[in-house]
Amino acid sequence: MGPLGALLWSRRRMSLHLLRSVRRESKLKVAFVSLSALGLWLGIFALARFGFGLFEDLGAELLAGGRMSLGDVVMARLLSLLAAVVFALLGVSNVLVAYATFFRSREMPYLVQSPIDARTLFVGRFVEVVSFSSWATAFLGTPVLLAYGLATGAPPVFYAAAVLFYLPFVVLPAALGSMVAITLVRLLGRLRHRAGWLVGSGVLLLALLLGWLRMRLALPDLSDPSALQALFQAVGRSQSPFLPSEWLARGILASATGDVREAVFQLGLLVANAALGLWLATELAGAWLLRAFSDLVASDEQRAPGRARGVLGRLETLLAPLPEPTRSLVAKDLRLFWRDASQWSQFLIFFGLLAVYLLGSGQAARSLGAAVGDQWRAWGTILNLTASLLILASLTTRFMFPLISLEGRRFWILGLAPLTRRQVLWQKFWLSVATCSLFTVGLAILSAIRLDLEPYALGLSVGGVVAATLALSALAVGLGALYPNFEEDNPSRIVSGLGGTLNFLLSMVYIVAITLALALALLWRDLPGDLGTQHLPWITLAAALWIAALTTVAVWLPMRLGLRHLEAAEI
Amino acid sequence: MIRTEGLSKRFGTKQAVDHLDLDIPEGEFFCFLGPNGAGKTTTIKMLTGLVRPTAGRAWIGTHDVVEEPVEAKRLLGYVPDHPFLYDKLTGREFMRFVAGLYRLPAARYAERVDELLATFELAHVADQLVESYSHGMRQKLSFASTFLHEPLALVVDEPWVGLDPKNIRAVKTYLRRAADSGLTILMSTHTLSIAEELADRIGILHHGRLRHVGTVDEIKRLARAAAVDGAAEGAEGGPSSSLEDVFLELTREADDEAAALATAPSTVVSA
Repeated sequence: MGPLGALLWSRRRMSLHLLRSVRRESKLKVAFVSLSALGLWLGIFALARFGFGLFEDLGAELLAGGRMSLGDVVMARLLSLLAAVVFALLGVSNVLVAYATFFRSREMPYLVQSPIDARTLFVGRFVEVVSFSSWATAFLGTPVLLAYGLATGAPPVFYAAAVLFYLPFVVLPAALGSMVAITLVRLLGRLRHRAGWLVGSGVLLLALLLGWLRMRLALPDLSDPSALQALFQAVGRSQSPFLPSEWLARGILASATGDVREAVFQLGLLVANAALGLWLATELAGAWLLRAFSDLVASDEQRAPGRARGVLGRLETLLAPLPEPTRSLVAKDLRLFWRDASQWSQFLIFFGLLAVYLLGSGQAARSLGAAVGDQWRAWGTILNLTASLLILASLTTRFMFPLISLEGRRFWILGLAPLTRRQVLWQKFWLSVATCSLFTVGLAILSAIRLDLEPYALGLSVGGVVAATLALSALAVGLGALYPNFEEDNPSRIVSGLGGTLNFLLSMVYIVAITLALALALLWRDLPGDLGTQHLPWITLAAALWIAALTTVAVWLPMRLGLRHLEAAEI
Repeated sequence: MIRTEGLSKRFGTKQAVDHLDLDIPEGEFFCFLGPNGAGKTTTIKMLTGLVRPTAGRAWIGTHDVVEEPVEAKRLLGYVPDHPFLYDKLTGREFMRFVAGLYRLPAARYAERVDELLATFELAHVADQLVESYSHGMRQKLSFASTFLHEPLALVVDEPWVGLDPKNIRAVKTYLRRAADSGLTILMSTHTLSIAEELADRIGILHHGRLRHVGTVDEIKRLARAAAVDGAAEGAEGGPSSSLEDVFLELTREADDEAAALATAPSTVVSA
């Protein structure tokens, strides 16, 4: 067995041991997570089946001399758009996963000092990048493709093609992401003020993305008779023949209609480009991986800025009014977060995406406004609120859930200090509430301004966001204490355990429950006749009480369970 | 076997290692001493390929660590102070993984693995996951895996943390025997009594520069000479001084030199 074989073999063995360790987990937790995952899969399948079903008979025998229906065209465009979005998301997430895998994982120093050449090392670790970044694509993509296959009555070759297309489709963005990560570290690793450069680049990229989206995907006014054509054009812009997502979409669609020749051509195109991407990434790694790693290790050796200087120094000054030991604990958490680029860069991306969405949503909602009447504001608010809460749930799961686990082997420091574990847990909770509120409440207000909301809708949406920030923070911190992983230093891996999954699923349940209540209150007003205004106060009160009760339970229960576990834990 | 010429590393404005010239011949047990931040770990990181030198060169055998890193590393074994081990592998699986990294033939691996696991008293836990190991057991597994490919040069960074007295004795004996059989060892440690007991030669690194090199007796003689020069200032380092006294004396002397250099320009200006 050579070095590459050893890397892959060890990874397989570790995965097996990890699967076996599930047997030691609480059966209730395993059952809940498994059933929830199955429920999510089935939910996506049902939604996709329903959606594709709507288009199935739309404008039958309208196009191409009766061979294709309008529904076929719409579904094809939707699939293209979906593939383009997934490809873009994979590209972004692969940069982060590649950075963590090639530069920040604990095993890298050990592997770098082993007699493995950089190319072999890259390929060995690349397998991990691909599997780590793409399992969600498989999980979420299979129900959509299955639904599409059933809706169009696709032959068996369609399902075989979906499997064959998957690997090159996830390898290509992983190769691109790895190249970007290695190049960035190589170029920025030696720079002073690296964090500043990264933030600047991130903001610039987001601004460019926003500008591009506004220009390319501008939605037409749907009251205009030519709107359908314009909408088709807007969606059709994801169908460039130079986009890998388009090769996937075309290939899979061709296989669905039995056009094997076209499917094989598109598969060949995708495989050839994935292979080229992998080869280029391997060559780049051969030249730069070890050099970039060395630069990063060397830059880590440099001293952090002094207490009084930099963003952290200023932040710490703002914390002065807090009583000790809370102030010290908060300052410590903020410093650790700030000094881990992989942490705050993901934080920035989460909020960047949300900001891009909210800024674009005002225009989109107005475009739809003429078609659906005054209700567009209510629907726009509900959509914005749902998007904000989903991002908030990802955020609390990704960043707040690991807070207790990250104390890890250093927990004895807190254990010896003259403070109770209750204080530690509530400090994490309030830290989460304070940092998340800064962004979520700000974005809720920004969204309200974009949608020209009046005080009633503004109050409901801001109130909903505040309640959700409290509840989702408590869920993340409480469950993080209930299911800690003190052996792991990598937050991504802490979150990917059963506890993290449970936290995300429960957050989803909470979001669905409060969004339904908010939607009821927001839409009730627009009901025709007196019905809209007659019972509005009661409906609003009922929604508020429902949200308050849910939030109280979501704060109290996980925090109580987490605290009980933390106080009983022998660390 | 381990050689450096003008090896230097600068981190921003800080010169961590400054023109280090070192030549450790085959079979020598060389101990690196120095206060915290002296540049020992940075030197080791350069020798093991984790950090590239800013200037100068280093060789393991005949292989330049920058130009031929894979060949150099194949001859090298490295035991860090806090070893990385895969928690979700068993001890035996970790040994097999290391054998793969070093391209050890299957037959040779089969011969060596049980012998090493027994030598480092790990045979009874070899099929347990590493996550269940104590710190000392992890350190012993790190040693066992390092010797698997029979390195010609060994770099050891403060290896005694977590080992009990019995294991310290066993590891010391094993290392000394290995050096006597031709293994070249470069060990960085703060445990001066162990350095005194094991080392053929000692190098004292301070502020990134190699201040003194020699056998334990030569180093002690140097310290005595320094003590005579600095007697009026109450320096230690009499004829029966321990290596600890000698180390403190020589590093104090280097600190005094550095302080004198730092104040020199202002003296010139005021003159």
